[in-house]
Amino acid sequence: MTVKSGARVLPDVFGRFLTLSRIVALKILLKPLVYSLCTKGRTGMATEEDSAVKEPLDLIRLSLDERIYVKLRSDRELRGKLHAYDQHLNMILGDVEEIVTTVEIDDETYEEIVRTTRRTVPFLFVRGDGVILVSPPLRTA
Amino acid sequence: MTYLFFSYFKDLVGREVTVELKNDLAIRGTLHSVDQYLNIKLENTRVVDQDKYPHMLSVRNCFIRGSVVRYVQLPPDGVDIELLHDATRREARGG
Amino acid sequence: MIEFQLFRALSFEMSTGPGLESLVDQTISVITNDGRNIVFQWDPNLQHYSFVFPLPNAKGILKGFDQATNIILDESHERVYSTKEGVQQLVLGLYIIRGDNISVVGELDEELDSALDLSNLRAHPLKPVIH
Repeated sequence: MTVKSGARVLPDVFGRFLTLSRIVALKILLKPLVYSLCTKGRTGMATEEDSAVKEPLDLIRLSLDERIYVKLRSDRELRGKLHAYDQHLNMILGDVEEIVTTVEIDDETYEEIVRTTRRTVPFLFVRGDGVILVSPPLRTA
Repeated sequence: MTYLFFSYFKDLVGREVTVELKNDLAIRGTLHSVDQYLNIKLENTRVVDQDKYPHMLSVRNCFIRGSVVRYVQLPPDGVDIELLHDATRREARGG
Repeated sequence: MIEFQLFRALSFEMSTGPGLESLVDQTISVITNDGRNIVFQWDPNLQHYSFVFPLPNAKGILKGFDQATNIILDESHERVYSTKEGVQQLVLGLYIIRGDNISVVGELDEELDSALDLSNLRAHPLKPVIH
C-alpha cells in the first residue's frame, strides 16, 4: 500500500511541475496584454497582482477617477466620478447626478405616469448592497 | 472585511453628514461614531423633511443600522481624492 | 443566563463604535424596517432592563440587545401614524426584534417629546425599507 502510493509521488510531482511551468509561461505571454489594459492610473512599477484582470472588480479599478454609471435598486441611477470602492461595491462618487424614476397611476384614466426627478450631490457614499450594475465610461475617441 | 470605508468614516467623525435610508428618510447630523458594519451614530440629528416625516421630532441622537443606509452625503471638503484613490488601489490588491 | 449573555454582548458593544450602550437609561424610539415606531425607556438598574413608556400608564421592559442589534422588549408600545387621525398607541407585549429588522434606534429627548401633541400629529406611516 505504502509502496504503491510512494511510487505515484514521482510522476505526480513531475506533473505538477509541468502545470506550474505552463502557468508561468502563460502569464509571461499574457503580460503585455494585461499591462495594456491596466496602464491607466498606475503609479510607478506595478506588480503582477496589480495589473492582472482576473475578476470583474479589476475592471472597476480601471474606472477609478472616471465618470461611471451606476444602476441601483428602487429605480435609481447615478452618474459620477468614482473616487473609491471596495469588494462590496460600496463607493464614493463625486459630482453625482441622481435620477429617480417613479411610476404613478392616474386616478381617473388609470394611465401610468412616469416621472423622473434629478438632483446633484457634490460627494456621495453609496452602499454597495443597492448596486445592480456599474458601467465604466464609454471609451470613444 | 473591508476597512477602507470604515477608516474613511472614522476620519469623518465630528463632521456634518446626511444619511439617506432605504425607507426614504434622510437624517442630518454630526457623525459621532461608526463600526465595522458601517452602523452609524449621529448626534444633533434632524430629519431633512420634517413636515413629511415627523416620526423623529423628539430624537436628537440616534443609531442607524448600516444595512438600511442607501447613501451618505459627505462634506465636500471631507473627501481627499488622492488619499481615497491610493487606499482603494491598496484595498484592491488585498492589502 | 440570558441576562448574562446579553450583558457580555453589551460589554462587547462598549468596546466598539456606535453601540447602543449610551442609550442606556434613555427613552428609546425604534424604527423597524417595516416602518413601525416602537418606544420605551431603559433602566439598567433593574433585574430586567426596564423601559418606561414616556406616556402615562404605559410601560415596557427591554431585556437587552446584542451586537447584531437584536432587541428583546417586553410590554413595549408602538406609535401608529396616520393621515386620518392623531398618533395612536398600541401595546405590543413581548417582542423580540431581530437586528435585521431594525433601521434606527433613537434617543428620545423627554422635553421635546412631552412638548409634542401626538393626538394632533398626522403623517403617513414610514415606508418599509426595501433592500
